[in-house]
Formats: sequence, structure tokens, C-alpha cells
Amino acid sequence: MKMEDMPLSGPDNTRLEALVHDIYSELVEDACLGLCFEVHRAVKQGYFFLDETDQESMKEFEIVDQPGVDIFGQVYNQWKNKECECPNCKRLIAASRFAPHLEKCLGMGRNSSRIANRRLATNNNMSKSESDQEDNDDLNDNDWSYGAEKKAKKRKSDKNQNSPRRPKSLKHKNGELGSSVSSEPYKYNYNTGISYETLGPDEVRSLLTTQCGVISEHTKKMCTRSHRCPQHTDEQRRAVRLFLLGPSAPTLPDADAVVESDSFDIPDGQTLMSRLQWEDSPDISPSDSASSKASTNHSDSRRPKKKKRTSLGLNSGVVGGVVGGGGGVVGGGGGGGGGGGGG
Amino acid sequence: MSKDSQMRAAINQKLIEMGERERLKELLRAKLVECGWKDQLKAQCKDVIKEKGLEHVTVEDLVTEVTPKGRALVPDSVKKELLQRIRAFLAQHATL
Repeated sequence: MKMEDMPLSGPDNTRLEALVHDIYSELVEDACLGLCFEVHRAVKQGYFFLDETDQESMKEFEIVDQPGVDIFGQVYNQWKNKECECPNCKRLIAASRFAPHLEKCLGMGRNSSRIANRRLATNNNMSKSESDQEDNDDLNDNDWSYGAEKKAKKRKSDKNQNSPRRPKSLKHKNGELGSSVSSEPYKYNYNTGISYETLGPDEVRSLLTTQCGVISEHTKKMCTRSHRCPQHTDEQRRAVRLFLLGPSAPTLPDADAVVESDSFDIPDGQTLMSRLQWEDSPDISPSDSASSKASTNHSDSRRPKKKKRTSLGLNSGVVGGVVGGGGGVVGGGGGGGGGGGGG
Repeated sequence: MSKDSQMRAAINQKLIEMGERERLKELLRAKLVECGWKDQLKAQCKDVIKEKGLEHVTVEDLVTEVTPKGRALVPDSVKKELLQRIRAFLAQHATL
């Protein structure tokens, strides 16, 4: 018995230790006895040797105790370095990558459809932008500086294709953008803004009616915020519109309602719609509705949505700022849709 | 000495009354199963049975053959832990 555990020497302690050991021995004997009874009962009842009846299978399933192998005798990463031939594309793929490769190769599984859609979108995007290039003759001079960021922007838009973070305003815009709805969403990059050179003049016009559109110095992209975005002044917006659409471009919507009064009626519905569409202008509308000038036009704004379609696009930018209180008026929703189709 | 035996009896009684003995027994059993002691001892029992014959083996046979081996086969760690717990109990509850 180990006596090293005794903290102090003395008659009491030795007796105590002896006692402790005695108690321990009793406990161990109890355990042994319990086991004996258990075994004896098993023997007499006949179930003690039940797991040893079949000598053959016992040899077969004996526990293996070799290095590099588990207790069943299997090698752990036997298939890691093997290569398998894909039945579809006949390529040799590593075993651990085989399942994901098959998923994509056969076109089944969750991710493969997503990727395929994305690829389709890129192809559409590329073919569409190539046709657009010829339209923007006046921009070709500046191609060299903007060319790089066009590629970057496309990559960014690819990323946002199938992700749930697709910009919400797309849903509203779908009516407005009419024909270009297939490619427009892919160019519409919520995060970084739009590169104007890939858009046709119609699209640029329609974009400018709803957005700030000021081209940023560093990224050369159009600002996608509302007409009242605090980063850019109206002067900048006017300049951009002049630059992009030529001298015939409409004047910028101003805060004060002292603009051409004849153009008030028609685009009202559309600009209301544009006000409504833009997600980050809810804070703007209350301030606008406070202005008395805007309030007069509210009730009139429920005009028919389909007047002169061709000019709508041009003039839509005009009164955008005026009827700022459109946040409360939901009826003008259809006006923007009609106007965008013609534009 | 009767004093000694009295003391022992008192302590044993206390152990049982407070349920500590049961707890210690369960703890020991669990530890012995964990460390494989039970299987080792069962193998010993098998030998004894094969020796004495399946029909005629008695409990006494098993006990006398197996218990000393059992006592010896208890791993040191288990033994230490149990001794410690008993000592702790005595330190707490024994009045000397």
C-alpha cells in the first residue's frame, strides 16, 4: 500500500489512513463480488458464452491493431489521392472534388443553376454593351480611361446576380424600363453606381430622370442616389445631363417650383412615381411636402399616364424636384411605368 | 481496540446514512468499467469456468479465484481517486 499520501505522522493519522484503506478495500471487494454474481448468473442462465458461438465470424471481425489502419482494417484516407473519370466531361477529377464537380457538370444541384444563370447574364450583358458602344460616339474619345472600370463594374454586377441582395428598386423599375428590363437589372449596380458609357441614350435619359447621375471623379460612375442626394449640387447634375444628353438636355429639376409651368402636368405622375421608387428618399418627402409650392400640384398630378410619350422622357427630369411630397401619394405609380416604356 | 472499532462502526454508519457509500460504490463501478477492468476480470472468469466446467461452477469458486486478481488489477489512478474521496469525507464528517 502506498503510504506517501499521509500528510502528517502520528498515531491518529495512521489509524485514520488505515481506516481509509479499509473502507476502500471493502468497496473494491463489493465490486468484485458483484461481478462474480453477475457472471455466475449468466453462466447458469446460459447467456454467458453467447457472443462466442461462431468461431469463424469471430476470426473475421477481430479487432485490428495495426498502424495506419482503423480497428476494422480500413485505411483512413485511401481515396483522397485517387482520381476519378467524370462520366460527363471525361476529365480526371480528384476524389474529394468529384461530387461538387459532378453537380456542376450535370447541371443538377442548387448552385449549378445559379452559376448558369449568371453566365447567361454575362453573355447578354457583353453582347448588349457591344451594340451600345456604337451609339456613344462622343464618348469614344474617353474610352481609354473608362474602359478598365467597365470590366470591373461588370464583375461586380455579376456578383450581385443571383444573390438575395438584388436591389429592391429593380422591382419597381421593371415597368418603367420596359424593353430593356432584361439587361438593365444586370447593369444596375446598387453598390457602386452605373457606368454611363455602357448605356444607350434612352437608358441614360430614363436613369437621369430618377437619379442624381453625377459622375464621380474617381470611379467615373453615375451617382445612383436621388435627385436630392446631399453629395452633389444641382449644378453638377445639370452639367452631367448636359454632358450626357447634349445641349438639348432638359434642365435639372430644382427645388423651387419656378420652372416651365407647361411641363408641370404631364410628367407629374411619372416624377411622383420616380419619387416613390427611390428607397432612400422617404426622409426627403416630408420636407418637400412642407413647401407650399409643391402642394398646389398634388391634386392635379393624377393626370393620365400616357400623354406624349416621346417627350416624356426628356421632360421627366424637369419637375422631379418639385413634387417632392409624392411620398404620400401612391396613385401615381402607373405614370412612371408608362413614361419609361416610351423613353 | 474497542475504541477503534467503535470509531470504525460510527464512521461506517455515517457513510451509509449520508448515502456516501452508495455514491462511492457507483463511482468505483463506473471507473472500473471505463478502464476495462471489468472486461479483464470477465476473461478471468471465463478461464475459471472453462477449467471447472460450465455445469459445476459455483459462486465460491469464482470468488476465491477472481477476487485477489481483481484487487490487484485496479488501476492506480482509480485507487488514488477513491482514497482521496474517502479521506475528504472523513475529514469533513468524522469527529475524532
